[in-house]
Amino acid sequence: MIPLKYNLRNLRVRWKTTAMTMLGTGLVVWSACLLFGLVDGLEHSLKISGEPLDLIVMRPGSTNETTGGFESSKADQLLTLPGIARDEAGHPMAAEEILNIPIAVRGDGSRTNVIVRGVQPASRRLRPDFRIIEGRDLEPGKGECIVSPATSRRFRGAQIGGRLDFGDREAYRVVGVFTAGGSSAESEIWADFQDVVRNTGRSGSVSCVQLRAADRAAYDKLREAIEGEARFKLAAIPEPVYFQNQSRSGVFLKGAGTLIAVLLTIGAMFAAANTMFAAVSTRTREIGTMRALGFSRRDILICFLGESLILCALGGAAGVLAAIPLNAWTYETSDFNSFASVMVAFWLGPTALSVAIGMTLAMGLFGGMMPALRAVRLEVIAALRER
Amino acid sequence: MGAASSIELRSVSKEYHRDAFTIPVLVDLDLSVAEGEFLALMGPSGSGKTTLLNLIAGLDRATHGEVIVHDQDLGLLSEAQITRWRADNVGFIFQTYNLIPVLTAAENVELPLLLTSLSRKRRRQNVATALRIVGLEGREHHYPRQLSGGQEQRVAIARAIVTDPYLLVADEPTGDLDRTTAGEILDLLQLLNREFEKTIVMVTHDPLAALRASRTLHLDKGRLVNDVIQEARVPAAS
Repeated sequence: MIPLKYNLRNLRVRWKTTAMTMLGTGLVVWSACLLFGLVDGLEHSLKISGEPLDLIVMRPGSTNETTGGFESSKADQLLTLPGIARDEAGHPMAAEEILNIPIAVRGDGSRTNVIVRGVQPASRRLRPDFRIIEGRDLEPGKGECIVSPATSRRFRGAQIGGRLDFGDREAYRVVGVFTAGGSSAESEIWADFQDVVRNTGRSGSVSCVQLRAADRAAYDKLREAIEGEARFKLAAIPEPVYFQNQSRSGVFLKGAGTLIAVLLTIGAMFAAANTMFAAVSTRTREIGTMRALGFSRRDILICFLGESLILCALGGAAGVLAAIPLNAWTYETSDFNSFASVMVAFWLGPTALSVAIGMTLAMGLFGGMMPALRAVRLEVIAALRER
Repeated sequence: MGAASSIELRSVSKEYHRDAFTIPVLVDLDLSVAEGEFLALMGPSGSGKTTLLNLIAGLDRATHGEVIVHDQDLGLLSEAQITRWRADNVGFIFQTYNLIPVLTAAENVELPLLLTSLSRKRRRQNVATALRIVGLEGREHHYPRQLSGGQEQRVAIARAIVTDPYLLVADEPTGDLDRTTAGEILDLLQLLNREFEKTIVMVTHDPLAALRASRTLHLDKGRLVNDVIQEARVPAAS
């Protein structure tokens, strides 16, 4: 086999062309990482939001908590059902919650919908890794709220000690900053359940009940009871299924991302092909010499395909490295159901990395294939005559 | 000649096709080269000498006739087989040296050995031996651009002999060199022929270079017109 140093040194000798091609492929891979990092972030936040034993109880036919309201009398009965898990203090891990979507003002003065969730004590236990990281937790009945770090940064008045005003009747004082393992809860503002009911004038109803089954058997019985018993006739949706259904914006991003990635890859393939055609053209006599010495057509194919792959891999690696700093970035998107602002942390996760590797391989292989085949097809004698 | 026949060409013709035209390059050629012979091929441009060299080296195929080298009928080999055959049996020396610019002298010489199953250590030993034979000890790590033309041609000769091939083919090996350097290269070829008993076929335009060979064939328009055996050829300077 032709030694690898032959390719590496040729790439170094033609460093300007190599750098330009690397820049092209690197930018393409970086763009793909950016796009699919957002998809990864969104899917990650929705995935970790769904606990396997958790159920979200809503009005039948509802697909979203914001439109899934039902009577609070039914909600009260739900909390007493057997089979609900209990915390160390013996309290049921179930909470009535109410959602409101007022308009909040961003730091730059623009406006957007935001989810205010009225919660009960158990709500915290039902979110992954809920923690107050700054300030303190809200106290019921005092018109207080807690926010996530991203929300705190993004909205006017959302800093500790600040006041979030949502019209004449609804306002909350910010007393703490919480995290919930990067789950979708971090896009919301949390206030006391009764405060939200009072401020929105929605007494007698809840948006949903969140509960956790004690075990798998209890989970099935709870679903049967909630959906089958005449006194409820509600929908008990497994939390993972619920959040999967909420990830439609992720599907859109993924679709658009895939289309853009394919187009960019095709463009970059031409850049790689151009570089490799130039490499074959300037090294025709070397190819002829190696063929004369006894290297086979397969050796030549591997050599030039390998060089193309190395070239694109260098660019791809640069693109991925340049995307790593984006891991600290949080972006704002909209929930397609409620049109409320959703905060998603960029995550260079498995999708983004797979796409980056896939694009790099595609650019290297398909971009290098035609030039490599041209090198393979060269007649030895004609190649040796090249000056 | 007396010695066993190393290269046999029987009624060999070579034609090229350009559009509707057939261009004969070699016409019904018969040739026998003995083992250990140093053969010079001379003739005007277009006489077919390089084509004949390419046929003997397994780089090209005859249109008609048989080319038998070291008991192997080259016409019977597939492309993959003839590629392997070249690696095992032929050392190439080109007019413009054809070294790989990004590889050092030692790495260039090692190239043909990468097609063998020799260990790395053994390859390095063979490379050192080949470079010593051509007088380039201490230049192992120099790149071609750091060597003179004569030194580059010595590296090319080291690359040609490193696998200890049966046959050396040289296409105008002194064509790009000054008279003194050319003389040194021809000395080296004579040494390889005499001391190491290599069969050498050399194409040259230079009558003085041809005098170093043990036999000179003159070709014209694809036909053998003169066959001279030099009884008292010019001896090597060394």
